[in-house]
Amino acid sequence: MSEWLESAIARGQENQDWLAPKRAQALDVLANTQWPTRKTEAWRYTPLRAVERSSAKALDRESGLTPVAIPNVSAIELVFVNGQFDVLQSAKTLPTGLTVQLGQDLSAEQQAEALRSFSNIKPERHLFGLVNDALAKDVLLVTVAEGIKIAEPLRISSLLSTGAESHTRVLVRLEKGAQLAVIEDVQSQGDSLSTAFVEYDVAADASLEHYRFALQTGSNLTIGGSHFQLSDKSKMHSTIVGFGSELSRLDTDIIHAGEFADAKLNAMYLLDGKELFDLHATVEHAMPNGTTEENVRGIVADRARAVFNGRIHIHRDAQKTLAELNNRNLLMSNKAEINTKPELEIYADDVRCAHGATIAEIDKQALYYLETRGISKSKAQVMLNFGFINELIDLMPNEALAEWVRPIIRERFAQMEVK
Amino acid sequence: MTEQIDKALAREYEAGFVSDVESETFTPGLDEDVIRRISEMKGEPEWMLEWRLSAFRDWLKMDEPDWALVDYPKIDFQAISYYSAPKSMKDKPKSLDEVDPELLRTYEKLGIPLIEQQMLAGVAVDAVFDSVSVVTTFREKLEEAGVIFCPISEAIHKHPDLVKKYLGSVVPKKDNYYAALNCAVFTDGSFVYIPKGTRCPMELSTYFRINEQNTGQFERTLIIADEGSHVSYLEGCTAPQRDENQLHAAVVELVALDDAEIKYSTVQNWYPGDEEGKGGIYNFVTKRGVCHTNAKISWTQVETGSAVTWKYPSCVLKGDNSIGEFYSVALTRGRQQADTGTKMIHLGKNTKSTIISKGISAGKSNNSYRGLVRMNPGAEGARNFTQCDSLLIGDQCGAHTFPYVESRNPSAIVEHEATTSKVSDEQMFLCQQRGLDPEKAVSMIVNGFCKEVFKELPMEFAVEAGKLLEISLEGSVG
Repeated sequence: MSEWLESAIARGQENQDWLAPKRAQALDVLANTQWPTRKTEAWRYTPLRAVERSSAKALDRESGLTPVAIPNVSAIELVFVNGQFDVLQSAKTLPTGLTVQLGQDLSAEQQAEALRSFSNIKPERHLFGLVNDALAKDVLLVTVAEGIKIAEPLRISSLLSTGAESHTRVLVRLEKGAQLAVIEDVQSQGDSLSTAFVEYDVAADASLEHYRFALQTGSNLTIGGSHFQLSDKSKMHSTIVGFGSELSRLDTDIIHAGEFADAKLNAMYLLDGKELFDLHATVEHAMPNGTTEENVRGIVADRARAVFNGRIHIHRDAQKTLAELNNRNLLMSNKAEINTKPELEIYADDVRCAHGATIAEIDKQALYYLETRGISKSKAQVMLNFGFINELIDLMPNEALAEWVRPIIRERFAQMEVK
Repeated sequence: MTEQIDKALAREYEAGFVSDVESETFTPGLDEDVIRRISEMKGEPEWMLEWRLSAFRDWLKMDEPDWALVDYPKIDFQAISYYSAPKSMKDKPKSLDEVDPELLRTYEKLGIPLIEQQMLAGVAVDAVFDSVSVVTTFREKLEEAGVIFCPISEAIHKHPDLVKKYLGSVVPKKDNYYAALNCAVFTDGSFVYIPKGTRCPMELSTYFRINEQNTGQFERTLIIADEGSHVSYLEGCTAPQRDENQLHAAVVELVALDDAEIKYSTVQNWYPGDEEGKGGIYNFVTKRGVCHTNAKISWTQVETGSAVTWKYPSCVLKGDNSIGEFYSVALTRGRQQADTGTKMIHLGKNTKSTIISKGISAGKSNNSYRGLVRMNPGAEGARNFTQCDSLLIGDQCGAHTFPYVESRNPSAIVEHEATTSKVSDEQMFLCQQRGLDPEKAVSMIVNGFCKEVFKELPMEFAVEAGKLLEISLEGSVG
């Protein structure tokens, strides 16, 4: 067992609030959990030495940290600073049908109710999900009432000052027929360690638009998860944009718990320097007639390392499922590394499932073509890389958000070329 | 004829390892003494014993692998007898009348001649003589070409330098739990050496190797193809073979030196157990080949038997321009479980690998492809193409794909694709409309599904493999 985990368990035991019963369960499991090694399948390519070495610690809320502005997107802001909910920076008035509550502010009755749905969607297998169970204090509960469509996106930002450790947790519930878009992002100043988990309970006929931006780089250890449970005829469309950092690990789980649910996931990772980015995407088809489409693309330059694990699990009852996963990677340097593992586990016969994975370098012919048109090699590379990723950006339902992220990505490619 | 028989028998005697062991079967259990006795029985030199013992010591420290998607009761390694002498004539069934009629029906469908049926069923007859004479002619032809093809126990005596140099060079003693166990207790197996620039004049087959009545559950095979040579090796046969041992942990090592080519084909149809999966064979095999410059190793396997299969024939593409291939058909039915696939480790420049895997699951079985493609930093311009297709027949079975793809060289290209589907209603309708009964239709569709792999098999094997699938699938439709 690692010292870091021991200290996390000790700190978790000190937390005595309304979440105590769930926390006790998580601590129980954690106490019997082995610290991952190279032989631990879920951490095979992602060493956790950086976590063990981390000197990040719980800090008080610091003033002066504000979420990065996104032009032309007027979001309903929910802000955490160093793991604590920042009421001042968060939205004061909310549209009708949307409620946001802090766990500790609920009545005893409401807390008992919330406790029942807390941590039911996030699978127990994630070590840091359990750590988050044990250490998250300000737990937010977001609900969209039945049939309500919220026009502005909800933005959940977690801000960290240098050397801070934070554990944030949000539970989002879309009632029957509700519609909501959520943007999740973590922004840290360096040497930080964060776990940020959001659980989404999407009721029948509801529709969720989801974005997760992991754009902080450098010496930050960012671990997190977005976990979705889909009921009958519900829909989700998720976009994940990840830059690597010293350690960046993201888990998404999509559970088809109802029939005729539809899930789309477009994820991309763009890594440079000595960054590491690890994306684990799991889709559980537990009920029939579900559809899943996943497109994951990566560009890995310099000495960076990318890890992708895409698992599709079709349960015995999930007949008539259509599930597809496509993972394409470009390797930019001979010091960079890509480890991908698309998995299919299928127990129903009347299904159509496919996955594909490729790793290659930039198309030499396309590069040559652009060069013959007088475009410098480095510019041509940026263009081709951008085109490769932009195909997924184009699929983002929120155009203003796409407009915001495009130049950020372009800038990243330009930097890759400078070296 | 008699002369030839005598000659063959004399050869056995020469090798000196089939001494008076008829009554000898070890009491169950495994310790260093048991290994010493095995080594002694075989009259092995000291270095071989030391090698076995050191493997055993490593094995004691290792853990049984648990990552495969297979489920079986824990094996008690102390409850197994690690040496049993060939069954004496009087213990064997006296005639085919005493043999399980189900087995005979299968032989009939496969069109196996009576004499071979008797041999396969282990009937105590003298009719094997016919094949002994065949063997002898084969041996003469091979000797002429300079090819060494003999039991590995014989090679340890006659060709110690080759054995010392290559045994354990591809699959190290500590490679994995079952390989270590095999190193410690292996009883026999094949040894093949093809000299420089030689094209082996015939396909080598375990089927024709004399002295193989009881190679036991821990078989060891070592094939060395010297520079510029070529060999095709066939292992197993389509007919279900009688076998008393439940646990099989074989090791196969292939060495393809510069410009050499080895083609290794396997048809495995061991007893899969009864309806409930009881009593079937556990097949935990380690197969690996190393390719030097411009060399090629091609694995082709048709796996239809065994209760549990744990098998990953692999290629280490060490030399520049070397080629690795893996063609596999794995069919599971009843309660069979197969976790099989390959590893392609690209080390050299311009190395190429192709993986075609076809999994067919029926009944209540589970069939997994597990593979690794690794492009090391030195694998400049390397190329891999992988295709894994699964076919599901019935709604109680499972088909799984676990491919690991790792690349550390930008100029290497890796492509992996996998699909899973069932035999579609449209396909069935089309066939039945043209007068085929459902069973024939499924067998035709499955054969089409596996065509890419079957075409890699030597011709007569391919025909048999097709038939084998058809028989295996009987009763799975409806």
